Amino acid sequence: MKTVIFLLLFFPLLGAFLHAAVGRRLPRRGVEIIACASVFGSLLMAIVAFVIGGQKTYVLTLLPWIDVNDFSAAMSVYYNRLAAMMALMVTFVSFLIHLYSVSFMREDEGYVRYFCYMNLFVFAMLIITLADNLVFLYLGWEGVGFCSYALIGFWYRDIGNAIAGRKAFYLTRIGDVAFGIAIGLFFVTFKELSIFYINAHAVSLGAGMATVLGLLLLWAAAGKSAQLPLVVWLPDAMAGPTPVSALIHAATMVTAGVYLLMRMFPVILESSVALFIIAFVGAVTSFYAACSALAQKDIKRILAYSTISQVSYMFLGVGAGDIIGSMFHLLTHAFFKALLFLGAGCVIQALHEEHDIFQMGNLKDRLPAVYWLFLAGALSLGALPLTGGFFSKDRILLATLSHPELSYKLLWGLAALTALLTPLYTFRLFFVAFLPRPGRRDREIRPIPKLMVWVLWPLALLSLFGGFLSLPAIWSGGEWLSKYLASVPGTVSLNIPPSLEWGMEIGSGLAAVAILILAYFLYYSTPFSFRAFWEKLLFTGFYLDWFYQKMIVLPYEGIAKFLWLKMDEGSLNEGIDQTGNLLPIFSEGLRQWTTGRLSTYLKMLLLGFTAILCALVVGWYYF
Amino acid sequence: MENFPILSLIIFIPLIGSFFALAFWRRLNLCRWTSLCFTLADLAAVFLLFAQDFKWRSGPTGRWWLIEDFPWIERFGIRYSLGLDGISLALILLTAFLGVLCVLVSWKQIETRVGAFHFFLLVMQTGILGVFLSTDLFLFYLFWEVQLFPMFFLIGVWGHENRIYATIKFVLFTMTGSLLMLIALIGLYILHGRETGNYTFSVAQLMQTHLSLPAEILLYAAFLFAFAIKVPILPVHTWLPDAHTEAPTAGSVILAGLLLKTGAYALLRFAFPLFPMAAKLSVPLLLVLGLAGLFYAAWIALAQKDLKRLVAYSSIAHMGLVVIGIAIWNAVTLSGATLQMINHGLTTSALFILVGMLDERIHSREIAVLGGLWSRMPVFSAFFLFFAIASMGVPGLNNFVGEILILIGTFKKEPLVAGIGFAGLLFTVVYILWVVQMVLFGEPRKEHVLWDVTPREAVILVPLAIAVLFIGLCPGPILNLLQDSVGSLLDFLK
Amino acid sequence: MIVPYSHVLLLAVLLFLMGAVCAVSRRNLIMILIGVEIMLNASGLAFIGASLHWQKLDGQVFFLFILAVAASEVAVGLALLVYSHRRTRSVDSNDYSLLKG
Repeated sequence: MKTVIFLLLFFPLLGAFLHAAVGRRLPRRGVEIIACASVFGSLLMAIVAFVIGGQKTYVLTLLPWIDVNDFSAAMSVYYNRLAAMMALMVTFVSFLIHLYSVSFMREDEGYVRYFCYMNLFVFAMLIITLADNLVFLYLGWEGVGFCSYALIGFWYRDIGNAIAGRKAFYLTRIGDVAFGIAIGLFFVTFKELSIFYINAHAVSLGAGMATVLGLLLLWAAAGKSAQLPLVVWLPDAMAGPTPVSALIHAATMVTAGVYLLMRMFPVILESSVALFIIAFVGAVTSFYAACSALAQKDIKRILAYSTISQVSYMFLGVGAGDIIGSMFHLLTHAFFKALLFLGAGCVIQALHEEHDIFQMGNLKDRLPAVYWLFLAGALSLGALPLTGGFFSKDRILLATLSHPELSYKLLWGLAALTALLTPLYTFRLFFVAFLPRPGRRDREIRPIPKLMVWVLWPLALLSLFGGFLSLPAIWSGGEWLSKYLASVPGTVSLNIPPSLEWGMEIGSGLAAVAILILAYFLYYSTPFSFRAFWEKLLFTGFYLDWFYQKMIVLPYEGIAKFLWLKMDEGSLNEGIDQTGNLLPIFSEGLRQWTTGRLSTYLKMLLLGFTAILCALVVGWYYF
Repeated sequence: MENFPILSLIIFIPLIGSFFALAFWRRLNLCRWTSLCFTLADLAAVFLLFAQDFKWRSGPTGRWWLIEDFPWIERFGIRYSLGLDGISLALILLTAFLGVLCVLVSWKQIETRVGAFHFFLLVMQTGILGVFLSTDLFLFYLFWEVQLFPMFFLIGVWGHENRIYATIKFVLFTMTGSLLMLIALIGLYILHGRETGNYTFSVAQLMQTHLSLPAEILLYAAFLFAFAIKVPILPVHTWLPDAHTEAPTAGSVILAGLLLKTGAYALLRFAFPLFPMAAKLSVPLLLVLGLAGLFYAAWIALAQKDLKRLVAYSSIAHMGLVVIGIAIWNAVTLSGATLQMINHGLTTSALFILVGMLDERIHSREIAVLGGLWSRMPVFSAFFLFFAIASMGVPGLNNFVGEILILIGTFKKEPLVAGIGFAGLLFTVVYILWVVQMVLFGEPRKEHVLWDVTPREAVILVPLAIAVLFIGLCPGPILNLLQDSVGSLLDFLK
Repeated sequence: MIVPYSHVLLLAVLLFLMGAVCAVSRRNLIMILIGVEIMLNASGLAFIGASLHWQKLDGQVFFLFILAVAASEVAVGLALLVYSHRRTRSVDSNDYSLLKG
């Protein structure tokens, strides 16, 4: 088993290393084959691990890393059922996206760099998925952050992309500060940094410490998963190539935050305050993002805000105490969101790099496969009945509603509202971008490679039928995922009266269909838009980005200048230079005495002689 | 082999080499090759040390792995005594390594007075090696001054536009500190002699002195002042941006990579063990100044227009963290601090070398004229990005190991300081990513004549990169080297 | 003794001070030389008084020495003065300020 997991992690690292070392010398096909093969190798290993070890829990040390006195951070992994599912999803989606990238980046010259970073990213993400030692997890955490930065700014000639990448890194680093402090606290409290150990001993935490740790972990997760208030980087991160957006900013990195919370759930479980705040952040961000998505024009930005909104649902699930529901939604979301992004990538390339949905249209006959596949993803996102998204979102909403505390009912209300907005913006996107626009000239279609479309099929199937992963009991489903994950530390089983469950499912199903019809009427012929003020407000994401610029970025730069010019150069340097000047001033003063005149010298001679004599006399008298 | 004075050999090989380099001052290439051979020989000698099996020996000069002790100026109790332990070994390895790199880096850059340049470079290396190895306070002071005056010439003769101001400021600052330290040194000598009747400069024996608290505080303050200027600790850091910026590349590498470390090394080898009670009292001050340095320097770095000055400010920020590690004084943070000294020596030297390479091509250090280098110099840019993220503390590379050790170790004793320290890492990211973007990304400028990394430059950068990656992923060997010595250091300050 | 030693010393001191003031505060080089001469003679007077007080001849012998030295000093001083007057046409001490810093 140790070998299997080692290879799981090692293959993408080997791929990245080969790309970095000899990538330039290999032919293009060679590079692409290495990239896809290494991720495929990981996928195989993940499947093997699942098959032979999927029912058990392993804590294995792969390699020693840092070991000083009582602080030790080894490269150790904790393979349990949660990790098994996550590893399968990550490797599978990564593999599909690598295949897609081969076609998508076919005309780009920087493909070696691209695949090197992509492989490195997969490696780092798998570390997050499997790590046991918190410092080792931090390695993966920062690793995905770096790869995300590098890939967002991939097309570096446009400085806007580099700025977007920087922004992403800054915001995730703000989260990482909390992670670092949390690691310190864990070390001080438990003397150990192993997740397995900490989870096992989590009950010994007092409520106060558990709250602090929970909030620190939340802050770290919020940075990585783009939740309020660290949300502004994700829409801008769409500057990167579309496969990057699909992989990093839909399926994997943004879910790393929630995944961390799920892994450390026993700790968070000890603090109801932390749980509520997590749920609160989830619900509010979800609503915020859904509203903002309603006013976006760029197809990728709509999907970005949608990602934020859906990841917030996962946070809500964690906050409500239901990790299984969160994981379920994580999996379905990975499938349909990757599908939507990759489909968007097809459309973008077909329409000559057009991103504005209002410039698209009439794709049903011209890109039929993409049309239907995208529709499949959209149905799942909108949680139309019987799709994967429907079951997973409903489970989270049920968990929130059935939570004993009243405050959660309010959060449920907010989440339900968001659930109404989701199909609205989703089908706004779909209808505007894909259906014919009466009175509008259609743009020319560029043929796109078949590979890009083939990759979408498995994702579409999983989106539509992913619900069967955990079909609820009332549908006489096996609830396979729930049963499978039930032994993960911290999971609680939901006891939901069947009547409630039926009511919720029928209600949400009807609501989703209703909204779809509403979207059709609003957006089909003439797109509906809000009044200018509201449109602007939603478009800029409630001016949050503008606010950060004004309140944080500009003052920071201003203070940097001030510190440099006024303090370092000004006070300190000037002060020392002035102190240095004292010596010349003193010398100047002394210089007055060297007049060159005889009378002065004679006077000095006399005075000095007198002084010495007096000193002698005084000395003789007293000693 | 037991009694072969290998430590003295290591110290004086560069000195001998310096005279040879000076002798060949007319034939430039012969001069350069001579210096290179001598620095490589020194590096080989240091590697020879690793072949030895290290056992702890105790002697009148303390507990070391290798001891060399000869009488010198008996009249004043000054002995020529050297001692090696894990920390010194790591640092002299760094010194020998960077010495080779300095000679390589200056190959094309220094065209005038080449003989004198190499003379000063090698004399400096002798001085620095002596500082790391001496266990007699007077000998230490001698080497401390020896490492100072060649730098005066290096900056003053081969530096950039504002070099005279920079070098005079540097010398005056360091001299002030050193002179105060000399007074304290002699004071300690006299106090010890009065108490025990044995006038000696040997550090191990001086540690036994019983000092009254006021006296101890005064002496410690003088020592601390001298080392604080070197490290540098806020607010006596203002010499550093000017000195680093105006120095030639080799000068900056030695300044940032080695001279700063001598200050930190002396702090933990001499100042803390000699004056334990006063040192304990100064811990809050050191913590505050270390944190302040971390934030202040990182904040200012963002406003810089000169690329070299930015890297200089980043040095101050990194050393701030090292100071915190030393102040806390427990096993984890001291290992982290000593490791971080090595790490910082590697990454910052690499950054200065890269900036120097840019200077050779563009003849300017202004950030505003740079941009879009990635499209025209991909290999160079990859190295630049690599060392920039290493400097930022990304896990998997060397700086992270030192930083996490220092911060987690600090957490045990002063969680607030550690928490703020973590936030300081955030500030580091801000300016480093900004400078990476300004230098590497964007549209390439047409007006510069650029060529990518030459083989000589590759020979310089690749070992640095390998070292950075190795320490980042596999810090075990070097941590083991440091562990025992850190343990014996800890005993001095209970 | 006819005159108490303290009176002799007092006279010598007064004369010395007067000579000193003359040497210090006059600008004319010749006056400075005269002042120095007075100082020398005043100290000689102190020696004579001492010889009388202690009834030893050593003081008077020393006065002869002082006289000899004073005479030679005046000779050399005047020679220098004449020479420098020929160079700069002035006996004002303020004009000789080449050593001004």
